[in-house]
Formats: sequence, C-alpha cells, structure tokens
Amino acid sequence: MSSPAISIPTDHGQAGGHDDGHHGHVHLQYQPGLPLSRGKLIMWLFLSTEIMFFAALLGSYIVLRFGATVWPKPHHVHLSEPIGAFNTFVLICSSVTVVLALEAAKANKTGLAKIWMAATLALGSLFLGIKAYEYQAKFSHGIYPAAPHGLIHERPDLYYGSAVRSRLGEPAIIDKLKELDETPAENLTADQRAARTALQQIRTMVADPGQQAFEMAVVADQIAPLPAEGAGSHGDGHAHGINDAFPWLRLPIVIPGGNMWASTYFLLTGFHAVHVAVGLLVFAILLGYRLGPKNAGMIENAGLYWHFVDLVWIFLFPLLYLF
Amino acid sequence: MTDHAAHDHAAGHADHAHGGLGKYIAVFVALCFLTTMSFLTYSPAWPWRDQPQVGWAFMMAVSCTKAMLVVLFFMHVWWEANWKYVLTIPAAMMALFLVIMLVPDIGMRNRMVSQERAIHMARPSDLLLLEQAGDAGHGDGAH
Repeated sequence: MSSPAISIPTDHGQAGGHDDGHHGHVHLQYQPGLPLSRGKLIMWLFLSTEIMFFAALLGSYIVLRFGATVWPKPHHVHLSEPIGAFNTFVLICSSVTVVLALEAAKANKTGLAKIWMAATLALGSLFLGIKAYEYQAKFSHGIYPAAPHGLIHERPDLYYGSAVRSRLGEPAIIDKLKELDETPAENLTADQRAARTALQQIRTMVADPGQQAFEMAVVADQIAPLPAEGAGSHGDGHAHGINDAFPWLRLPIVIPGGNMWASTYFLLTGFHAVHVAVGLLVFAILLGYRLGPKNAGMIENAGLYWHFVDLVWIFLFPLLYLF
Repeated sequence: MTDHAAHDHAAGHADHAHGGLGKYIAVFVALCFLTTMSFLTYSPAWPWRDQPQVGWAFMMAVSCTKAMLVVLFFMHVWWEANWKYVLTIPAAMMALFLVIMLVPDIGMRNRMVSQERAIHMARPSDLLLLEQAGDAGHGDGAH
C-alpha cells in the first residue's frame, strides 16, 4: 500500500481522491479500486467463473456434436422444439420481471417489487416444471443419461439382438410375457394387440441364428420406431412401438448417436436446471426481505445471476433443439 | 467516511438515469422477435435448405444477438465502466480457445478410428437401414 493513509490538513489533494480541505483533524483517505460496490464486483467475478463453466460444457458439446458421424434428429429423441421455444420465452419473461422488481425496489415501491419478484419465482418454477415434463418424456422412452436405465444402442447389430434376447429371457419378463400371451384379445387395446403380434415376430427373429443386420433393424423398428419427420411433439403424430404399448417391457432400442446425445443433453440441461433451482432459492429468500432502496443492491446481484442463467439457456436452446 | 458513503451512493445510484421501463420493454420485444426468428430456418421460405451450415450460422448469430441484448441492457453492462472488458474479453478468449483446442482430438476423433470402434460405432447407413426397416414393416413407419 503505497498511497498514504493519512492526510495532513495543510496538504491539498496530495493523497489523491476526495480531499475537501480539512481543518485541524486527520482524515483517512479511501479510494475504491473499481466504480462498483463490493457485492456487485463479487457477483461479476462469480459469474465469470460460471461463464467458464458453461463455456467448457457448451464448447465440448459443440465439438462432440459436430465431430459425430451420426447425430439423432430432435424427433428421434422425443425433443420438442415448440416446448423449448416456450421455455425460452418463459425465461426471457422472468428476466424482464426481475428487472422490473429492481426498478420498483429502487423507486421504493416495495409492494410492487414483491409482486414482480414473486412473478419471477413463478416463471422460474414454470420453466423447471416444463423441464421435468420433458425429462419424463425422455425417461418413458428409455432415454436416460446412462445405463442401466438407458436402453439406447447405437446400431441394429448382433450385439443389439443379443441384448434384446437377454431382456426377453429375464425370469420376470418371461412370466409377464406368458401372462400377456394368455390375455384374451378383448382386454387389450388395438395398439397392444398389434404390439403383441409384433412381439411374437421379434422373439422369433432374435432367436434365429442366421439373423442379418436388416432383421435387427426390423426388430429395432418394431420395438421403438424412429419417428418420421413431422411427427413433431407427442400426440397423434407419435409413432408407437412395442415399448410404448407395454411400458414394463423396456426392451433395448436403437438410436444411432443416441448415447452421446443423451449424455450431453442431460448434462447440459441438468446443470442448467440446478442453476435455475439455486436462483429460485435465492428469490424465495429475497421475498422475505423488504424490497426497498436499501436492498436494491442485493436484488440487483440476484438479478445478475438470473440473467446469466437466462443467457445460458439462450445458447442452449438452439444448440440442443434446433441444430 | 461521508466521502466514502457518498461515493458508494453515487456508484450504486449513478444508474438512476439509466435503464428505464421503455428500454426494458423494447429489449423484451426484440428478444421475443429474435426467438421467433430462430425458427426461420424451418419455414418453407428459407432458401438455404441444402446448406445446413448457413442455418447454423444464422441461428448462432441470432443467439449471440439475444445474448448481447440481455448482457448489455438487463445486466446493465452498457452503462458500466471499463472493468467489463477485463471480465468479458479473457473469458471469451478462453471459450474460443477451448473449442479450438478440442477440435483435433475430439472433433476429429472419427477421422481415424480403430477396428474395434469401427465395429461398434453408429453410421449414417444404420439410419438408412432403420428407415428401410420401417418402410418395409408398415409402409408409413407408424402403426
């Protein structure tokens, strides 16, 4: 610390900073390093570490995805672009509401600030709820971040056929299949009847020692067909396979490039969702405070974090959903 | 001490004249517009269907614009002093550097593969095979 900490009354401005000519008493001079409050500085330093964190994840995703020989299309993995776009819209709105909360707090309109803060919390929770719905859509089709829950195989080859055979040979599954075979046709839906017939067919095919790759592809298509372009989000366009008709069956499925996709998708969106949850926790805590000008700094810093979370999603959305 | 408090007050409230509801609403509308624009590549009017790279470049440009709007206006960086460059420029350099460094080992990993990987890795021909299987099975690929 080279700058003198004490100014002598006869010196005018020699210590630098804000000398206003004191008369007879000693003053300590303080010169802030940066023109921003400590809380804001720390938040920005933290955000730069978060930028590096997500830059690492996003950067590796970009390299992995564009270096892959095959990458699943969004409709192959039950990814819905409209839902992603709506989530983007929700987060953008929540960024606006947090900024409005800050403005209201600075203007000492504490009630209004609380309302905007609660709106931010609600929108953030909506985002997480929609994410949970999306995750459920993946899980119900056997798309998980990793084995053993994940059912994805890369190619319809002999190893895939052997995996299907193993699953069909599990004791619990054998029992349930026997039960299924004995169920009269009236007790099954049309989908399930068709699936049951298809199941007989694939049981023969995977047991056949002379099986060819094309037959394995047929097996894969029967179990979980890759939906055609334009099938869009869930509902009528959604192609059904055996795994859809009998969710307990959970036969291995084939999605070329699907394992890498699942790993990166769940990692990126999972970390992002954790950050959203932390942000929501912060807002929930802030709601307990009086949101006036004295606390505007706190709200601003929480807002900075929240905008960053929105920023990450702005990049995640096209990279994951649209590319 | 009063100087200190006054300066802090000034730093914290120098933005009193900045921001403003009008600007925030304008940015919000721009963000919504840009989000819709990112779907432009899906519309029949998009002329570069055969070159997906054009679409990707367009989508990244849209994302970067949205990001800049959020950073500059919602995060107030437009009105901040030069420290913003100290934070952002090195981070941006590192992000770019990371991607470039990963390209030889990870981005180009499939250019020269071992026999074992070649046996097990997915190929575009597998997708074609699955499509053919679907057509053979049901005609339109759906039950």
